[in-house]
Amino acid sequence: MMRKLKKVAAFAMATTMFASSLIGCGSSSTDTSATTNSITTEANDTTKKDAATKGAEEIYFLNFKPESADVYNEIVTRYEAESGVKVKVVTAASGTYETTLKSEIAKTDAPTIFQINGPVGYQTWKDYCADLSKTDLYNNLTDKGLAVSEGEGVYGIPYAVEGYGIIYNDEIMQKYFALEDKAVSILSTEEIKNFATLKSVVEDMTKHVKDLGIDGVFANTSLAEGNQWRWQTHLANLPLYYEFSENKDYDTTTAAGLAADEIQFKYEENYKNIFDLYINNSTVAPTLLGAKTVDDSMAEFALGKCAMVQNGNWAWGQISGLEGNVVKEDSIKYLPIYTGVAGEENQGLCIGTENYFAINNEVSPEKQQASIDFLNWLFSSDTGKAFVSNDLKFIAPFTTFSDAQRPTDPLAKQIFAWMENGSITVNWTFAAFPSEEFKNYFGSALLEYAQGNATWDDVVSVVKESWASERAAAK
Amino acid sequence: MNKKIDSRNNLVIMIIMIVLSVAFLIPILIVFMNSFKGKLYISDTPFKLPSKTTFVGLNNYIEGIVKIGFFKSFGWSLFITIFSVAAIVFFTSMTGWWLTRVKTKFTTALYYMFAFSMIVPFQMVMFPMVKVSNMLHLDNPFGIIVIYLGFGAGLSVFMFCGFVKSLPIEVEESAMIDGCTPILTFFKVVLPILKPTAITVAILNTMWIWNDYLLPYLLIGNNYKTIPIAIQYLKGGYGAIDMGAMMAMLVLAIIPIIVFYMLCQKHIVKGVISGAVKG
Amino acid sequence: MEKTLKKYFPIFVLPTLIAFTIAFIIPFILGVYLSFCDFNTVTNAKFIGFGNYSKAFSINREFINALWFTIKFTIISVTTINIFAFLLALSLTREIKGTNIFRTIFFMPNLIGGIVLGYIWQLIINGILYKFEVTLTFNAKYGFWGLVALMNWQLIGYMMIIYIAGIQNVPEDLIEAAKIDGATPVQILKKIIIPMVMPSITICLFLTLSNSFKLFDQNLALTAGAPSKKTTMLALDIYNTFYGRSGFEGVGQAKAVIFFILVAAIAITQLVITRKKEVESE
Repeated sequence: MMRKLKKVAAFAMATTMFASSLIGCGSSSTDTSATTNSITTEANDTTKKDAATKGAEEIYFLNFKPESADVYNEIVTRYEAESGVKVKVVTAASGTYETTLKSEIAKTDAPTIFQINGPVGYQTWKDYCADLSKTDLYNNLTDKGLAVSEGEGVYGIPYAVEGYGIIYNDEIMQKYFALEDKAVSILSTEEIKNFATLKSVVEDMTKHVKDLGIDGVFANTSLAEGNQWRWQTHLANLPLYYEFSENKDYDTTTAAGLAADEIQFKYEENYKNIFDLYINNSTVAPTLLGAKTVDDSMAEFALGKCAMVQNGNWAWGQISGLEGNVVKEDSIKYLPIYTGVAGEENQGLCIGTENYFAINNEVSPEKQQASIDFLNWLFSSDTGKAFVSNDLKFIAPFTTFSDAQRPTDPLAKQIFAWMENGSITVNWTFAAFPSEEFKNYFGSALLEYAQGNATWDDVVSVVKESWASERAAAK
Repeated sequence: MNKKIDSRNNLVIMIIMIVLSVAFLIPILIVFMNSFKGKLYISDTPFKLPSKTTFVGLNNYIEGIVKIGFFKSFGWSLFITIFSVAAIVFFTSMTGWWLTRVKTKFTTALYYMFAFSMIVPFQMVMFPMVKVSNMLHLDNPFGIIVIYLGFGAGLSVFMFCGFVKSLPIEVEESAMIDGCTPILTFFKVVLPILKPTAITVAILNTMWIWNDYLLPYLLIGNNYKTIPIAIQYLKGGYGAIDMGAMMAMLVLAIIPIIVFYMLCQKHIVKGVISGAVKG
Repeated sequence: MEKTLKKYFPIFVLPTLIAFTIAFIIPFILGVYLSFCDFNTVTNAKFIGFGNYSKAFSINREFINALWFTIKFTIISVTTINIFAFLLALSLTREIKGTNIFRTIFFMPNLIGGIVLGYIWQLIINGILYKFEVTLTFNAKYGFWGLVALMNWQLIGYMMIIYIAGIQNVPEDLIEAAKIDGATPVQILKKIIIPMVMPSITICLFLTLSNSFKLFDQNLALTAGAPSKKTTMLALDIYNTFYGRSGFEGVGQAKAVIFFILVAAIAITQLVITRKKEVESE
């Protein structure tokens, strides 16, 4: 009897000990894998080039952009053929990058290259970000100020400058301006220089949808789960950019935003201006937006069912790639997002960089080096650069790209044109937004407002409160 | 007199049943119908039959199969389900018999521990389980079989124990006296009698593992997508939902289930009844 | 026999036990322990006491809301599923043609997985609502009733099968005798059938109860909590707390422990009731 009891007790003990040893040994497991790796490195060290690259036979790239997943797969196949290093690409579903990164990085086979969304993302992942200040990647940046840095160290390298605004189909616009009974005096879309003009044009166009052969002026304001970023991130950039640019204590709006524990949401009225214009002059009723996706929006634009859509240069593939698309390449143009802020006549497009490459410093030095080599190859070899410009359609901010090597699609060309025409570029300030959750709260509030279940004041208070609470939670 | 009323009532009931059966089948038929429509014509008008402009033939199927690598997903689902269920039936039947035949404090404690695990919801152990499996390198399609064996052991051991309890011990004893080792006794004498329970256990676990989403998603979802994971991934994995591909993949996900149901309907119905009574 | 058998422990029990230890015992113990810790990757856990538990309720109203939503959903779906399933079972135990085909059809949805079910119903419900120019995310009510409809579709057939088995156990001559004594069909149902199938009723009630209470896949696929997390059920809320953002893993684990206690309470209630019945009938 006693013996049996002892056995049970011993089993229980063993179990607990096993469990606690798991807690204890986890942190050392990376070290062991590092040593094993360096042993293989020495064993394999027969070729001349840097032994480090040869040591790591496989690196792991956790991709942020679902729309680029196929291209990345092609890129890594080519890279493996050229260098012998295998790159595993895993793509997170849209809106789940942080979640995926969190579960993946805790694994023994963790991503070696991942992406952070700027200074806020860096705060979350700083324990994993390797210092990249000594890399060619950093040295080749056209503007070193773009990188995410802290003190002497550089932890995030931007890889794509992107811009967004209101994309319009000039063919339809010209049709409108040719109408005899149009209510405005201007003759072309280029003459729209502020919100008041935009509003009168759009509302008059809505009266003429039949004459213009469209379902609505704007493509739908997609508010389905995971499709709200055009509004809670990109459109939200404008009022907060203006709010933070009034804070003269900081050099940049992002810095001011990062320091803000609370926001006034001073320009909420301007946000409401443009958002109302979008949802009330659209292809679909505001109550249906909860099921609409970005893909639907871009399809409406590509099929000529609407004249305008707010999006960035990355959306070119969604327009050109759609079967039956009727939009002519030279009719696609950009208009800044006017919201009725004083002096907006000089406002340009919203241009910036949202994502930064970071290297996981918890993996072996060999793997870190191999990861850096891969990114170097991508952004400085001719093969890599061709992929970046022609397939990924990134406007890469590196000196290794000559002008001729830049993307040539109409949206990217328009971005260059706007950067050079003397207008004031609206910086991407949303890197300073406190968290993904903040954006989700904002997006949910917008959906409820669009459906008529919440007032605008509700949205404003959700935005202000969740900014404060999310900022506090992050500290 | 009574008979007449009865038969009239039966006719009314039969008509109601026919209407209800149609209502039960309609959701699946609508999905099937929409899987042949262009992706832009689905969410707005799901109840309209495909027309000349909206009919796209098998495009959605081709698109979906390519996009999510359907056959690969199908293969992984099949592999994981078959081997996990086989492992569960094989090992837990042995455990169930042993636990019932050997009566000590330890076996009783173990039996209650298995029974206890049945009432613990997955979310309770989700996070640590993923971590432990990762440390032991079980986060691959082979390792997940071990996890399924462990997590499915509760119900299965419980069911085998319940059945073995009702068996007379004499047959086994006489086999042992005849010189059979316990292993031979188990496989030659006990297992054939356990067959009905084994089928029930296999059916219940097949239904669970084939349809399981969260466990494989957390454990292996980024590298190996089973069918439920692949379908959920269609929603956000490519920047936007492709409704056409979604419909086609839903149809492809349902077909194996219907085939399985048609093939072993009797066992399935029996299985869920006895599973319900025990569980 | 027992003595010889004991030596075979490593062959008969050890494989199952090892898997069970890895997949259940260790994670369970760790889970309880971690609910009192501040951690984000298990390896860096720091003991903090009951902080996570108070945070689960105080940090925002999401957990409470999810709890209420789950309770309301459970009550409605348990009631509707069992009433419909029982009525179907009564109808299909009469002598009408094609009962087998009907049973087959009604049972089939039960085999389809939650994710697939969720997307099927999303299409159907959005399609209906579209006629009224709204969608599933318009109002939490739509999501709620959508889930109820989905659950009914999935579970009615299953429960029906169990009820049929119960009804078929009622002795034919008992009913005949009652009929001869002049009992009305309602009386027969109340006085004979329902008391006789009581065990089936208990089983079905608890099966639907725990299935509804633990619902996850269907919730994720149908609404994913929209609008504004108003249709998030407990299991989904726990998942979101764990994986939604960094720093809240401890809170998620605490919520999971509370969830476990609630589920266990339901199961134990069932056990007690079943035991009591067995004693009474003996």
